[in-house]
Amino acid sequence: MFSALDKKLFRDLGRMKMQAIAIGLVIAVGVVVLVMMDGLFNSLSQTKTTYYDRYRLAEVYAPAVRAPKHLLENLANVPGVDSVIGRIRGGGLVNLPQEDVPITAAIVSLPDHGAVRLNDIYLAEGKQIERGREDQILLLRSFAKAHGLQPGDRISATINGAKRKLEIAGLAQSPEFLLSMAPGDLAPDDKRYAVIWMSETSLGAAFDLKGAFSEALFSLTRDAKLPEVLDRVDQILANYGGTGAYGLEDQTSNRFLTEEIKGLATQSKILPPIFLAIAAFLLNIVISRMIQSEREQIGLLKAFGYSSMEVSAHYFKFVLAIAIGGALVGCLIGVWVGRSYADLFQQYYKFPFLVFRVDPQAFIIGILVSVFTASAGALFVLRKVFALTPAVAMRPPAPADYSRAGGFMAAVKRIFDQPTRMVLRRIARHPGRAFGAALGVGAGMGLSAASIGLMMTFTNVVDQTFDYVDRSDMTVVFAALRSTDTLNELRSLEGVTHVEPFRAVPVILRNGLHSHKGAVTGLLANPQQYRAVDKDLNPITLREDGIIIAKPLAKKLAISPGQKLFIEVQDGERPTLQMPVVGVAETLSGAPAYLEIGALNRALKQPNQISGAYLQIDEKLQAPLYEALKAMPVIAGASLKSKSREAFETLMDQSAGSMRYVMSFIAAIITFGIVYNSARIAFAERSRDLASLRVIGFTKGETAFVLLGELAIMVIMAVPIGIAFGLGLNAAIVEGFSTDLYQIPNQIQPEAFGTAGIAVLVSSVFSGWMVKRNMDGLDLVSALKTRE
Amino acid sequence: MGIHMHQMTGDTAFRTRGLTKVYGSGAAAVHALRGVDIDIPKGEMVVLLGPSGSGKSTLLNILGGLDDATDGTAQFFDHDLTAMRERELTLYRREHVGFVFQFYNLMPSLTAKENVELVTEIADDPMDAAEALARVGLKERINHFPAQLSGGEQQRVAIARAVAKQPTVMFCDEPTGALDSATGRSVLNVLQSVNQDLGTTVMIVTHAAATAAMADRVIHFADGGVREVIRNTTKLTADEIEW
Ligand SMILES: Nc1ncnc2c1ncn2[C@@H]1O[C@H](COP(=O)(O)OP(=O)(O)OP(=O)(O)O)[C@@H](O)[C@H]1O
Ligand SMILES: [Mg+2]
Repeated sequence: MFSALDKKLFRDLGRMKMQAIAIGLVIAVGVVVLVMMDGLFNSLSQTKTTYYDRYRLAEVYAPAVRAPKHLLENLANVPGVDSVIGRIRGGGLVNLPQEDVPITAAIVSLPDHGAVRLNDIYLAEGKQIERGREDQILLLRSFAKAHGLQPGDRISATINGAKRKLEIAGLAQSPEFLLSMAPGDLAPDDKRYAVIWMSETSLGAAFDLKGAFSEALFSLTRDAKLPEVLDRVDQILANYGGTGAYGLEDQTSNRFLTEEIKGLATQSKILPPIFLAIAAFLLNIVISRMIQSEREQIGLLKAFGYSSMEVSAHYFKFVLAIAIGGALVGCLIGVWVGRSYADLFQQYYKFPFLVFRVDPQAFIIGILVSVFTASAGALFVLRKVFALTPAVAMRPPAPADYSRAGGFMAAVKRIFDQPTRMVLRRIARHPGRAFGAALGVGAGMGLSAASIGLMMTFTNVVDQTFDYVDRSDMTVVFAALRSTDTLNELRSLEGVTHVEPFRAVPVILRNGLHSHKGAVTGLLANPQQYRAVDKDLNPITLREDGIIIAKPLAKKLAISPGQKLFIEVQDGERPTLQMPVVGVAETLSGAPAYLEIGALNRALKQPNQISGAYLQIDEKLQAPLYEALKAMPVIAGASLKSKSREAFETLMDQSAGSMRYVMSFIAAIITFGIVYNSARIAFAERSRDLASLRVIGFTKGETAFVLLGELAIMVIMAVPIGIAFGLGLNAAIVEGFSTDLYQIPNQIQPEAFGTAGIAVLVSSVFSGWMVKRNMDGLDLVSALKTRE
Repeated sequence: MGIHMHQMTGDTAFRTRGLTKVYGSGAAAVHALRGVDIDIPKGEMVVLLGPSGSGKSTLLNILGGLDDATDGTAQFFDHDLTAMRERELTLYRREHVGFVFQFYNLMPSLTAKENVELVTEIADDPMDAAEALARVGLKERINHFPAQLSGGEQQRVAIARAVAKQPTVMFCDEPTGALDSATGRSVLNVLQSVNQDLGTTVMIVTHAAATAAMADRVIHFADGGVREVIRNTTKLTADEIEW
């Protein structure tokens, strides 16, 4: 049987169920964020590891121009190398009739027979390449899907300058090509990047590489030292056109995926504590006010001889029921949302399977934090009540002493009517309580503002990237370096209104122990199409005497303007340049480094060389222009800004960035939860007074005004708090959402506060309306008869 | 639980010396008790009379271990209440004291019976909750919530609650204030039988001067002090007093 005290517990929970649910919800969503983020992060990183292991992804990649196969033996003997394979890898173009421009393709060889020892593929659909069928290929599944291609279809491709008809035998997936970017693109785009697997014989013939390989792949032993392996491999391949071996961390697809997971990791470190802390803080406020309203009953229990322990236990059970209930619901929803999200990510990252896993620690932390903060809120009040003698605790709340307000109230009296005065007096009388409630609502509003601000910033990032940084309509990339004469060729095409060159050079940037494998982009000193911009979005003039690097790069290399940077060129003669950093550019995506193009070419001793151009075009002549570009063999790829923009938006919507929607939704729930709770508690504290007012002749409207007026003032007080909170939170959240793929600047828009303010207002009006309904239904007699 | 206080030696249930209670401080200080000296033998029925605000409830609260004194001493048998710490006071209330408050003070979310059980569950040798309610004439209403009871009925629940634990002392702050004469009489009957049958020391605060006739001792209170103590040589039963 339950004790009388336990019965009280159940009845009280039942009586306050709406409020208990609202509080439970606040804590639940805090836990949801924790469990979901943890689940996502764990699942992605585990899936990645498992996928890499299962398909034996190589740890070192060494491209060369032409290396005879017997070199593989030497490579295998390099200390730290576990196994090595040689394969042929080249570039090509896929010509699809429905596409305006040819699409860049990576073409990779598969052994004619036997297992693929490194960088294995997963055949998702169709069949393996038949022995001896030189025209059969496997095609990257995501590319095929994006274009509606199926096994059995034939496509036309340009390989090593020759047009060929190829038959798709099957569709394959590989951990090597999860996210790939076409040259000139800002974000991975399935449509714009093809991978073709062909038999070694067939590809050897196409590239004239019989008995040779153009890329060596390595797996390493456990104790291998990567830099030493890279050095030795580079030495061996130096005479065969080796362009520099690199580790998995610099492999394009892996780098993106790692960045994304790192982004999630940062988010899962920053966001859950913020959400949980705010939820916990609100829980604390709400619980303490709730217990406060039980003061008389606590006194009565003490008067009967219940010990402080017993009374505390009773209220702790009450608080725990709500906190644990909320936390458990949060765990369940968190797993569910995390799973759904992981499914989405699985599609985006093209994993053939998904390992979903939540660290049990996340559940434990979620529940413990909820329980702990709820209990702390309860304990705080209980201690205060226990400090009173039972006689004092039980006494009907002493009619508050309004005499102190003195001169101020005298002025108030002249200006306001009776109900208004009651509102003002009460707030003046309990400033702490009003401030606590305003703090809670302010925290909710700040969270909403920060989340909304984050959403807006994402849109801004896209706008700014395309309106200020890249203002071209199209980027074309040449198959090989071209002389500046090509610019004139492009200029002469009908429909091209403006042409600007760029040169991209693969480099390793080094500052002491910090290094970055990337590219230096050479641009005109004052370009019009693609520009480096400072933090106010003003264009930066490029210099000949020094390099301008993007902010994330400056951070990664731990370098600031004035310091010297080593630039190890990974192309041609492979010189190492030394240059000062002369400026830091704001960047919204990637980690570029800029140099005046003439200076870059001079440093490389390759005057007048360019790797591509930015075009401005006349929209009306778009179609014939594409045809003309398609016909130009020098062009390896052309990307339309509108398509890049789409791809970029997709990146931010489907990857870690999409978390911003969930965050905003959760912020909205928390905001509503706290506003509603504040209204309910104010009502509970006042129901007896309000009933008295009704009894002595106040109308429903006037009575409601006394309560709702108090709520309104609380909400008004919450606004500045919300703004302060929002500014701080935005800075923290933005940090969590920036990755190497895109930087989210910390620039919260005033509109974010406007929207958050409206959210708070709507919550308040709705809560006010709910409470008003309760108030109208207030049973005057029973409200007066018993004290609650 | 640690300290038990079953051993009570002596015949004096309560003895106070210079008992003082001051609420607030400075200009706003209210002297509710100004040095009260009383002796109450065990097993007596005591009635406290006095004008409103004279400090009757304050005295009851201190003797009942609900409030602390500002100065002076209050002894319960050979235990000094004013020296007791929180834990001992809790035990004292739990084991020895039955309260009937001036305001009924029922738990709104518990039924009449559960309100009584709230106390009997932690008492040493309680009577059955239903039986206690039957004694105050509420047999039919045991499953009603306070909001469903009249003021007098609520007061009787409060009395049943105090009686049910069979306390050593009972403090009743205006137990009949809200009752008609017939119910008032039956409530007093209950208190009298508790006093006579169980030997419980009973202290009743009342404004109904006639009640004094059934007391062993009548204490007249005024302005925070004892003005006069009268010992009744003969006392009436509850049925005999006039309202
Ligand atoms: N918490 C308090 N703070 C300040 N003054 C108090 C407090 N409680 C009681 N008093 C004052 O102490 C004095 C004695 O109060 P008490 O309640 O003991 O009177 P009482 O004799 O029981 O009166 P009544 O017959 O009206 O119940 C009164 O003047 C009262 O105003
Ligand atoms: Mg009184």
